[in-house]
Amino acid sequence: MRLGEALQIIRQTAGERQRQVHLLCGFTPLHLATFLSAYLRLRSPGDGVTLQTGLYGDLEGNIQRARQTSAEGAIAIIEWSDLDQRLGFRNASGWGTQTLDDIAEQTAEKCRRLESHTTKLAQNMPVVVVAPTLPLPPLTHMPPAQTSAFELRLNAALIEFLQRLCKHSGIKLLNASSLAMMSPLSARHDIKMDLLAGFPYTLAHADALAQLSVSCLFAPNPKKGLITDLDETLWKGILGDVGVEGVSWSLEAKAQAHALYQQVLASLADSGTLLAIASKNDATLVGASLQRPDMLLRPEQIFPVEAGWGVKSDAVGRILKAWSIAADSVVFVDDSPMELAEVAEKYPGIECLQFPSDDPAGVLALLQQLRVRFGKEEIREEDHLRVQSLRAAAQIEMESPIEASADFIGRLRAKVTLESSGSDSPRAFELANKTNQFNLNGMRYTEGEWKSRFRRPGAFLTTLAYEDRFGPLGRIAVVGGYKEVNRCLVDVWVMSCRAFSRHIEFQALRQLFAKSGASMITFLFRPTERNGPLQTFFRHFLSPESMVEGELHLPVAVFEKSCPHLFHEVVEK
Amino acid sequence: MNKVEEKLSHCFALVFPKMDPSQRAIATTENTSGWDSIAQVTLLTLIGEEFAIDIDFEEFEGATSFAALASRINQITSGAS
Repeated sequence: MRLGEALQIIRQTAGERQRQVHLLCGFTPLHLATFLSAYLRLRSPGDGVTLQTGLYGDLEGNIQRARQTSAEGAIAIIEWSDLDQRLGFRNASGWGTQTLDDIAEQTAEKCRRLESHTTKLAQNMPVVVVAPTLPLPPLTHMPPAQTSAFELRLNAALIEFLQRLCKHSGIKLLNASSLAMMSPLSARHDIKMDLLAGFPYTLAHADALAQLSVSCLFAPNPKKGLITDLDETLWKGILGDVGVEGVSWSLEAKAQAHALYQQVLASLADSGTLLAIASKNDATLVGASLQRPDMLLRPEQIFPVEAGWGVKSDAVGRILKAWSIAADSVVFVDDSPMELAEVAEKYPGIECLQFPSDDPAGVLALLQQLRVRFGKEEIREEDHLRVQSLRAAAQIEMESPIEASADFIGRLRAKVTLESSGSDSPRAFELANKTNQFNLNGMRYTEGEWKSRFRRPGAFLTTLAYEDRFGPLGRIAVVGGYKEVNRCLVDVWVMSCRAFSRHIEFQALRQLFAKSGASMITFLFRPTERNGPLQTFFRHFLSPESMVEGELHLPVAVFEKSCPHLFHEVVEK
Repeated sequence: MNKVEEKLSHCFALVFPKMDPSQRAIATTENTSGWDSIAQVTLLTLIGEEFAIDIDFEEFEGATSFAALASRINQITSGAS
């Protein structure tokens, strides 16, 4: 992004909502602040951004002061001169041998102090920490081609500090390698501007640093599923021509790019990404190929497998139905531009990526793209249960093909586990931010907003886990709001689509009435393009005309009159 | 307005969004609120980007009005020192 573009973005009219973010650094923030504001505006179109900056030369104090505010996040940028002024270019107090020893000691001490302040700040808001991005000045007697013990000592202190930091929840370290890919080390320092204005970065480096920091602070929601083609994509060769043993994915067969692709897919599956196959192929041959012992993807990681001779978009449609997720949560990978275009035309929301079969560099770029689309900060229990529960859902559908009958639900041996959650439940935060269909109002939260909602009086949040004879679904629903006299105000209510047709939503409300003692629940409802299933549920109790954006009131008597018989065993954790 | 002045006017619009467009050509550090040292650095950096020229900040010392900036840019882009 050019500086002019960034300024143009910042000048655009914003809505009422203002997002407050801290830029914590010890230098003059100048163009970095401009780029950050622009990327923050792009991240939340329509919202205004207030970027709070601190005092020049006082990174430590700036971090301390940020704790007193209720911003949505902070980006703390540490340069060598923040660890010791003598490591910067605007100070000239000598670089003698004894001074270097002192610098190393001071740096380690400063790291400890910064750690203390940063971890305290991270209790209030998510913090991105950026380790020094600029090279050290030429301060040792060593020729530049040789690393000095002093430099290693500084780096060791820094690495230890960063290792301690990254163990704290709420702190995210900016990836130095990703930054180096966007901004080479030799093109980062603007010495002229550093000496003139105290701003040490070139425009290109400020741009890259701002872009990456915003992505790190407000990571986009990961996509949920990947649909892959087989021939010349998952493996090299045409299965129908060369047979089960003829397709390959090895270095020896000059097909290593396919092995790397399989490896990444297996890793995505392990982290909870849904994987399916859509292939124009003979289903029996496909089944046999997927069972090959050298296949890097395990068969149980893939569901469903759509192999046949129909059009690709029909296969994709069946997969989306089996997964019960929207097309815009899915990436489709195929080597054929025609197939990609056909699927994209039928499902405009789906992200179609071409597998560049004969281009290893292109494949590497694709794998990096997949990590961007599916990257997640941590892997939870539910991530391991996802495919298993979808298979179970398919089984339920086979046994009770239309609407699950009360008798069928009664035989599920279903158990609902309730758990009160605080702001530190990442699963509840994840569910609230990624669920579309059964979602009270489609609200999305930053970590800072999520944490601050728990500070309101009477705030509560309950997660619901579910299991039955087909296996556990894990924590699949969240209901939260504020308890008031005689009523509950609910502003968060989401449930994973994997949990539909089990009457869990009814049980959630029954438990909410029971635990709160409220005679009425008021929902802060907003119809969205996607929350049809939630609206259908509300029609059990409310007239369609009453379902407009705003407060929906549900008295306990009205609820109980329309609530079906519930068979769940309810357990509190 | 010549081409240099048009482009410079665009830079002023970005750095001083509240300034009335009719006032840009007569703008000086004296009559423009917010034209401080930070705004000057931003303006000069933007000029460098917009005109694809390497900005030597010392060369622009004393260029504290729209007219002075336009004159200096004209000199640089026409090759005069």
